[in-house]
Amino acid sequence: MADLPTATERFINGILPENPVYRQLLGLCPTLAVTNSLNAAITMAGAVGFVLLCANVITSLIRNLLKPHLRIVVFTLTIATFVTIADRFLAAYLYQMSKTLGPYIPLIIVNCIIICRCEVCASKQSPLVAATDAIGQSLGFGLALSSIAAIREILGAGSLFGLRVMPAAWPDWTIMVLPPGAFFTFGLLLGTVNWIVTRKGAKKSQRRERSSP
Amino acid sequence: MDVEKKSFAGGLKSSNLVQAWLVMVLAVGFGISLAGVQLLLGPVIEGNKLNETLEKVPELVLGNFLAAKMASENQTLEIVPRQVTVKKLDRTKFYIVYEARYQGDLKGWVVKTKGQGYADTIELLLGLSPDLRSITGLFVLDQKETPGLGNKIITHAWRSQFVDAPADRTLVVIKTGSSRPGEIDVVTGATISSRSVTAMINTAIGDLRNPLTTAPSSQGKGGKHNG
Amino acid sequence: MKPIDDTDPAAPVIQVSPSPHLVQSASSTRRMMVDVLIGMVPVVAMSLFVFRGYALFQLAVCLVACLLAELLFVKMRGRASTLKDGSAIVTGVILAMSLPGTAPWYVGTIAAFVAIGIGKTIFGGVGMNLFNPAMVGRAFVMISFAGAMAASGFEDVRSAVDAISQATPMNAYKMNGVVAPLSELFWGTTNGSLGETSALACLLGGFYLVIRRTASWEIPAGLFVAILVFGGVADLAGHADGWTVLHHILGGSLLFGVFFIATDPVSSPLTPKGKFIFGLGTGMLIMLFRFFSGYPEGVMFAVLLMNALTPLINRWTIPTPFGGQ
Repeated sequence: MADLPTATERFINGILPENPVYRQLLGLCPTLAVTNSLNAAITMAGAVGFVLLCANVITSLIRNLLKPHLRIVVFTLTIATFVTIADRFLAAYLYQMSKTLGPYIPLIIVNCIIICRCEVCASKQSPLVAATDAIGQSLGFGLALSSIAAIREILGAGSLFGLRVMPAAWPDWTIMVLPPGAFFTFGLLLGTVNWIVTRKGAKKSQRRERSSP
Repeated sequence: MDVEKKSFAGGLKSSNLVQAWLVMVLAVGFGISLAGVQLLLGPVIEGNKLNETLEKVPELVLGNFLAAKMASENQTLEIVPRQVTVKKLDRTKFYIVYEARYQGDLKGWVVKTKGQGYADTIELLLGLSPDLRSITGLFVLDQKETPGLGNKIITHAWRSQFVDAPADRTLVVIKTGSSRPGEIDVVTGATISSRSVTAMINTAIGDLRNPLTTAPSSQGKGGKHNG
Repeated sequence: MKPIDDTDPAAPVIQVSPSPHLVQSASSTRRMMVDVLIGMVPVVAMSLFVFRGYALFQLAVCLVACLLAELLFVKMRGRASTLKDGSAIVTGVILAMSLPGTAPWYVGTIAAFVAIGIGKTIFGGVGMNLFNPAMVGRAFVMISFAGAMAASGFEDVRSAVDAISQATPMNAYKMNGVVAPLSELFWGTTNGSLGETSALACLLGGFYLVIRRTASWEIPAGLFVAILVFGGVADLAGHADGWTVLHHILGGSLLFGVFFIATDPVSSPLTPKGKFIFGLGTGMLIMLFRFFSGYPEGVMFAVLLMNALTPLINRWTIPTPFGGQ
């Protein structure tokens, strides 16, 4: 187990270096579907975070009992349970938001970030590592969702968290709150992140080249 | 004997059911916890659904001004939900109708109805005067029409056209400048959304005219008699 | 070791230019763009005559924004300026002609930046774009600012004919079933996007382009066949509420779209057969949108959808090489 990342590494990796959306391109369905307002995006990220944390911890606790050919069934069962709990909680305490998010809350069951973390981390490492991994990945997911949602809400509705931030003369770019806006924003942000990463990589290798001779 | 036992144990081990013991234990455990969550939260969720409608009833029946006044004076309407069954040629339709009374007097009806819009189902709350002669309010509970076009049906400006519109004749959707009562201006660029809302209202009123005008009058008489 | 520096003049310079390299050198791109601009002259002239200040305003906004966008995005890619090949000017003019005169300044500006940025530069610049850049920009603002794009104008002394205060013929028909007289559609004294109103001007410019071979004749041919067949069937099938096949051809942005947008050599198929199929598909989609969609006009979406199919059409219609099977 020596080659597996430690808890701290897992935590940091999840936020930026292995950001689930921008670096692993996982969980794109909610990323595109519910990012037309910041409120919805943060609620979605919160729900995914809750499910991910619970599923990771439970999976990690029973990791020695898992049989290889039945593990996916166990993951799905665990995830589905916590998604249902999250769904009921939203319906009970954030009723309007649960109506806005509609089918996308139950669809967290098929969110590949969660099953990926169960497989990659939780089924191999201790509950503590699994928990920090879940928190890191959830923060990364939340960061991605809210960055897309902020841009879309400002351009498309002139507001943030439903509060008007742009001047009254601002013409709302309706397309940004419609599905095409999600693709445009996500594509451009993904491009920007890739550009930054490539530039960083190039600088690093340059520095290495300079220092080596 | 020993050999037999071993093979029995081996069979037991390779049997699908035994291999899946963890899945089954988890399923039972999760099932119980989900049942608990449902028991705990189910009533709250039902309450949310009901409240969403009930909160709107005073405004839809009395109008904004009177509703706000009533609320500030801490008065409340007595709201009684009931189901009205309408038999049509090919099928039966159910409407949920909220009867709003103030100190026993019938103040109006709020009808919940839904139908197909441009993108998805639209769900409406429709306020009607006690005699079903005019519309007293309209609220869109749920819609997924195109943002910027069709979803303007939720704006107060568009909905307010329906307030005080006559309910004893069919509402007509007009493209340019409604002038007479009973004419509804279309939302620019969203003819289909506007038409479907209006059609839903026409249908609901048509369906409910008989059940509501006959039943409540007898009830009202009964009330008077008792009093 | 010294890092390789691209700007070092001593380093060997390798020119990378957009493909195809053989037939389309920078000068032939330029010749083509100049041809398109000449073809646009009747359209622009007519729009200036009918809409006066409005047309001038849109042209200025779109041209300036397109050139600025081209300058900016090409610089961001770290390439030499491509302003001289004229493609940004053509995009700007086509864009301006496809907007209603009353659209506010930000509509043209945003459309121009989207057209050059998302429509062209992201794919790799001139010659690499999948979609017609002007139509990408127009689709973006059409969906964003449906109100401003509906040409729901107001009366104004700045325009010669009282066109700007009317509903567009397509809208009037879709909404109220009002049929515009054919002569008005032909001469162009109706309201609409700047370049689309006059059928005559579009035909004049279009014929010039076809004769010069800048626009291939197969695309308009296929498109007209589709319109005639579907419009004719609709006429015969009792859709005849006065809006005939001729209205379909002369009204809306069909003629403008046929000659100036669908024939864009970059985003349409390469083979003659492919071009005909492209025209046929575009025509069918236009009729489909006009009959069944919520929008009164469908040329823009039809062209964009067929642009997406272009690689597929190219693959279908690859000519068998001599001796091949």
